[in-house]
Amino acid sequence: MLILKPKFDFEISVEAEITPALALATDEEISNYQVYYGKDKAKLSDLFEISREGDDAKLLLDGDFSKVKWIGARMDEGEIVVKGDIGDHCGAYMTGGKIVVEGNALDWIGAEMKGGEIEVNGNVRNYVGCAYWGNMTGMTGGKITVKGNAGNYIGEKMGGGEIEIMGDTGDFVGTEMKDGTIVIHGNCGFVGGDMKGGTIKIKGNFELVPGFRKVEDGFEGDVNAGGKGKVLQL
Amino acid sequence: MLHIKNGIVIDPKNGIDAEKMDIFVKNGKIVEESEVKGDVKVIDASNKLVVAGGFDMHAHIAGSKINVGREMRPEEMRTVRLVAGKFRASIGRVLLTSPAIGYEYAKMGYTSAFEAAQPPVGALHTHEELDAIPMIDKAALPVFGNWHFVLKYVAEKNWEKLRTFIAWAIERTKGFGVKVVNPGGVEAWMYGGNCKSLDDEVPGFGVTPREIITALIQETENLNLSHSVHLHCNNLGTPGNYETTIESMKLASKFSNDRRQVLHVTHVQFNAYSGSSWRDVGSGAAEIAKYVNSVDNITIDMGQPIFGHATAMTGDAPFQFTLHKLTGARWSNKDSEIEGGAGIVPIGYLPKNPIHALQWAIGLELGLLVDSDKVVLSTDYPNGGPFTEYPYIMAMLMSRKMREKELERVSPYVQKATGLAAIDREKTLFEVIQMTRSLPARVMGLDSKGHLGFGADADIAIYNFDPLTVDVTNDFETVYKVFKTSAYTIKGGEIIAMNGELVKEVWGRTFWVDATSKVEMEAIESDLDEMFSKYYSLERQNYGVEESWIKKPERLVMG
Amino acid sequence: MAEEVNIICTFCGSVCDDVQFDLEKFKGKKFCKLGSSKFSKKERIKAPMIDGKEVSYEEAIEKAAEILVNAKRPLLYGWASTVNEAIRLGVLLTEKVRGVYDQCASVCHAPGTLALIEEGVPGGSLGEIKNRADMVVFWGSNPMEAHPRHPVRYSVRAKGLLIKDRKDRKVVVVDVRKTKSANMADLFIQIKPGYDYPVLSALRAIIKGEEDAVPEEVGGVKKEQLKELAEMMKSAKYGAVLYGLGVTQSRGRDRNVENAIKLIQLLNRYTRWIIWPMRGHYNVVGAGEVPAWEAGYTYAIDFSRGYPRFSPGEFSANEILQRGDCDAALIIASDPAAHFPKVSVKHLKKIPVIQIDPFPNMTTLLSDVVIPSAVAGLEAEGTAYRMDGIPFRVKKIVDTEYWSDEKILELMLEKVNELQR
Ligand code: SF4
Ligand SMILES: [Zn+2]
Repeated sequence: MLILKPKFDFEISVEAEITPALALATDEEISNYQVYYGKDKAKLSDLFEISREGDDAKLLLDGDFSKVKWIGARMDEGEIVVKGDIGDHCGAYMTGGKIVVEGNALDWIGAEMKGGEIEVNGNVRNYVGCAYWGNMTGMTGGKITVKGNAGNYIGEKMGGGEIEIMGDTGDFVGTEMKDGTIVIHGNCGFVGGDMKGGTIKIKGNFELVPGFRKVEDGFEGDVNAGGKGKVLQL
Repeated sequence: MLHIKNGIVIDPKNGIDAEKMDIFVKNGKIVEESEVKGDVKVIDASNKLVVAGGFDMHAHIAGSKINVGREMRPEEMRTVRLVAGKFRASIGRVLLTSPAIGYEYAKMGYTSAFEAAQPPVGALHTHEELDAIPMIDKAALPVFGNWHFVLKYVAEKNWEKLRTFIAWAIERTKGFGVKVVNPGGVEAWMYGGNCKSLDDEVPGFGVTPREIITALIQETENLNLSHSVHLHCNNLGTPGNYETTIESMKLASKFSNDRRQVLHVTHVQFNAYSGSSWRDVGSGAAEIAKYVNSVDNITIDMGQPIFGHATAMTGDAPFQFTLHKLTGARWSNKDSEIEGGAGIVPIGYLPKNPIHALQWAIGLELGLLVDSDKVVLSTDYPNGGPFTEYPYIMAMLMSRKMREKELERVSPYVQKATGLAAIDREKTLFEVIQMTRSLPARVMGLDSKGHLGFGADADIAIYNFDPLTVDVTNDFETVYKVFKTSAYTIKGGEIIAMNGELVKEVWGRTFWVDATSKVEMEAIESDLDEMFSKYYSLERQNYGVEESWIKKPERLVMG
Repeated sequence: MAEEVNIICTFCGSVCDDVQFDLEKFKGKKFCKLGSSKFSKKERIKAPMIDGKEVSYEEAIEKAAEILVNAKRPLLYGWASTVNEAIRLGVLLTEKVRGVYDQCASVCHAPGTLALIEEGVPGGSLGEIKNRADMVVFWGSNPMEAHPRHPVRYSVRAKGLLIKDRKDRKVVVVDVRKTKSANMADLFIQIKPGYDYPVLSALRAIIKGEEDAVPEEVGGVKKEQLKELAEMMKSAKYGAVLYGLGVTQSRGRDRNVENAIKLIQLLNRYTRWIIWPMRGHYNVVGAGEVPAWEAGYTYAIDFSRGYPRFSPGEFSANEILQRGDCDAALIIASDPAAHFPKVSVKHLKKIPVIQIDPFPNMTTLLSDVVIPSAVAGLEAEGTAYRMDGIPFRVKKIVDTEYWSDEKILELMLEKVNELQR
């Protein structure tokens, strides 16, 4: 297990595309691993205290990582545990493995992920499991679980996989969703616009946008997209 | 000064076919040996091919269309080609930023590219973007076929006014020639319609595409502009449209010009379909080729699709809407004052898709079947895909073997719907150089471009390739690779790229055509005032582009 | 005789180009009150300043270049009220110092850009609206107050090819409150704040013939009234939806615009419709177009890796300031200190700030380097894009000691190049 601790309070954001695979590298490779600190390229060891415990493919991020972006992006196996908060794009494009965030996460968590698992104990902000601008499909596999609340845009253009939010969410849950499942245990705002397929289950209150018909177990739509998506009460 | 030594030169305009010779350059021009003395840089071109710089006469490289394309498709912009340093950052997959456009052409040995559709009222924007493209010479063709002045003068059969208006408009837009896009059809689109046949009436004007095209050819010839009418035909993208295309070509039959064609029909692939629906659609390329080869006053360019990503962007607004309905893809549209419109839709060409494969095959058929002094190589960038794949088209035209290999990976539909598989013809290297250099220069009426004779602009490409030893029909992979990046690209006598690396950033000229001395502006003064005050949303005095606003303008006065 | 010259108004996105300006009286004919206020003699920043002390242009620019070069992540923000020539240099400068380029749209009409990414934009020029639009819907826009001459010149009382009279055109205002513009409308539809999105979905369903999927009331509007509006839209020959900040800056933002675009896509299957944003500053369009051709994107562009990247929620100025994610800022032709939230302004106060502006404003007070500039359209020329993208060359009609934005940025870029060498 590789343990990283920020050496100081970051003045500006850091981009560190690190995955658990890094834990398998040599000390030198790890220390020299290139990250971005504004316009300056930096070595991982310039910004983080690095230590090891055992040699499994696991990363422990200890401290405030809320200004650190792209952690776990494209990871395919292993585990990342974030002791505090995490910045944008955590777990984007990931295909396997597991990320646990004990604090809060910012935007784009699990964006376009294809597999694996993300668990956030705190809150997340916007664009959970969404597609990046201009892309046609959001998350297609794996699971994102948020114990707290989420912001706007949850599982837009989702093509598969599962998102579960234990708390409340904002607007645009499953907009243009094609497949997969979104479960919201709290209340939420606008749900289902231009939904083509997939299932959204909600326990609390929600605002279903016009374009859905009542069916036996809930609602089906969006007729505007010729869709057969399901919105059900949990 | 440069001395390009021992290169194997192909220079179709001057009848030179793979001869070992030296080329001399001074003050940006190609000169005789005797003129080059003293401090001369020698480039050893032994065993290398030396040709004129490539000339892309039809591409969409500047202005509101490509820019909306970029804005609409951030996914296109995520390909990083060059990190900022000595040169600008350069990005883009098929849609490129302005710096990237200049850089990519230069790396490929191309030194001129013309924007093929400039919305007149947006002329200043087009010129700003042209000015942001480094490395190459450029120009823009303003679009005429739906402009109310044109429709009005055609309806009134007032040829003097039409002629005067053309001269006025090209001067105001600092444009190069007369582009016509779906004549009448875009005006009909303002009412939700289109003009699919040459005899459909244009709402509000009582004229037909047939009349518009004929009149514009007539007056372009009367002005004897550098370039002929440049036509994007009616009925584009519809099965059976090859007949409309041939009919449109026939409208040129009573005109001639000893310098050049009187009608250039563009991206013909999109207008070369037989059949009556998408179920029985086939190729009309053979018929079109037969017609074009039988006359001497028409040229075309291919509009070759390249498998992969592309973005359809044309002044043919109703077609773009049809495409959006067909594919469900994003759709931008712009109705533009009383001048016409435009649309933009992302597309992609998939080898296994029967229609896409058909389009691909038709483009190649046109390139193969039409005589090499009548067909220019183009992808109608970015409609057919990237211009950076021109080497693919060059290699395909020269190698049947390569075509056979490619045919294996495309939808079998092309076997029954086109004649591609049966075409033995292999274009020679000489012909392919002609199609990418001397012919486009001639089509545009630019004597100083597309060749290596004395007095020509020193726009030169040198490729790591000995035409005397490489077998272009069998070594198609080498051909493709070699033409992707030049060994040297020389622009105006300066080395700007070497072996795929940029060497120096230079800024080319913007050509524009001035025919105002051939007309009396008085003829249309009051019409201009009236139409501007009634139908434009801007003042006439604020319309148009002054030469001093352009970085390096080059005025071509029509005498 | 007093000299009168034609000028082009460089205040709002209407970019009225029919103003006759009397140089002696320093007054323009045909201006609305917003335009005449911009073109009146106003308090100016007197001279370039470093830390409040007057210095030469060269000194101020040199200092600015130092700040930018020394920063790890400078933010270069504003741009909507200057000309393309300056904007272009701004993009090049941002690329050079590997900073973040952002422009005013990110706090007003950028959601429209995001909707463009999702769906494209079926639009048209203002002249086409004037010539053809027999129905105009102002949705969350208030031209009477924000673009006072827009209705007369282009969209309400404007006459053209097919529209010969105000009666030939139906004008509808959709808004959350009865605005001044609502008074000129033939029909005013009031919706509940934050409910643009569902109302648009409902209209789409009705027009598509799926009205049974629409509840009896949506966003405070009765289904009957929505059906009436849908019918009107479907039977118009050429309609235009002109949307404003009411749509982009309220709940739903980019998704509202996207939904409206989908409505327009649908309507074009029956008749002709276009949609267009009522852009605010006179060249906010240029502030997006120029970076698009130079760097591929319109706003929120990060160059820290030496190539442009786009991420609105991440690289837009307000977001960056709120997160404290920049260590220097250049603010041009804009006043974030007055318009941004407190947290953002707090961060601005912490970092070195360079301001380029003709006029003093709140941002001046927290700027370390202040560089006064000439007023484009009056003291400096250059290219600007009207809200519909039509380019104009705005004019220089009076001489000034002030440097133009273009000249300032040109020298700054030069200085940056020198420092980086
Ligand atoms: S409407 Fe706008 S552009 Fe026109 S005069 Fe008023 S402020 Fe100036
Ligand atoms: Zn074209």
